[in-house]
Amino acid sequence: MTDHRDLPMPPPVAGRVLDADLDLLDRQILDPDGVPVSTVDDLELTDPDDLEHLDPDTPPVVSALLTGPILATRIFGGRMPDSRFIRIPWKVVADPGIVVTVGVAADSLDASWAERWMSEHVIGRIPGGRHDPE
Amino acid sequence: MILSDLLGSPVLTADGERLGAVVDARLVLDGPPDGMLAAARVYGLVVSPHSHSSFAGYERTGVDAPALIARFLRWRARGSMLVLWADLASFTDDVVRLRPGATLYSPRLSGDSA
Repeated sequence: MTDHRDLPMPPPVAGRVLDADLDLLDRQILDPDGVPVSTVDDLELTDPDDLEHLDPDTPPVVSALLTGPILATRIFGGRMPDSRFIRIPWKVVADPGIVVTVGVAADSLDASWAERWMSEHVIGRIPGGRHDPE
Repeated sequence: MILSDLLGSPVLTADGERLGAVVDARLVLDGPPDGMLAAARVYGLVVSPHSHSSFAGYERTGVDAPALIARFLRWRARGSMLVLWADLASFTDDVVRLRPGATLYSPRLSGDSA
């Protein structure tokens, strides 16, 4: 088997290079104030026009980060229906680094609905749960 | 299409020879501005002949510690390669097929020493 050290390096590119699994998947998503939003569970890519004859000049583009309840499919396999994923559009991503920072407030994203629901319906009903500790 | 549809898919040459399985997708942020960053296009697929996944990318970076783990994970990912999107002919029935004469590249991320 050919060792990768024998293979040529790919043609250089002008933009930043990210390996999707290595640099994006499972990274935490934070909003500009450092509030956790969710984690990157998958990526949504634009659909090629024809999967039987892929166009070399129009590669798929990342359209959104996806997050959702994927624990079961990771353990047992299979694929979660697309409708169960929550989309975070790529256009709000500000910095895909050690954590993925988005440029909008966590409260404005659907991905943080569970946090908001818990805050409003559970934490908020606990005495003292609606203000900062004194 | 979601990324998981591609990950784990077998990759065949134009002659039908199995090269391995897709373990990652390399993205390049060099498209037109899309919000706060450039659009991220799929540049190619990282293919591993011996495993269906890659852990921590030891075979693509210059990281070599802890030494025992690095050696094991590099051995597990031996023979990994990068195929560019332009060399992909089709993606049907969860199988990626390459064009005739497709070039295999090193999966190493540039800027990382060997």
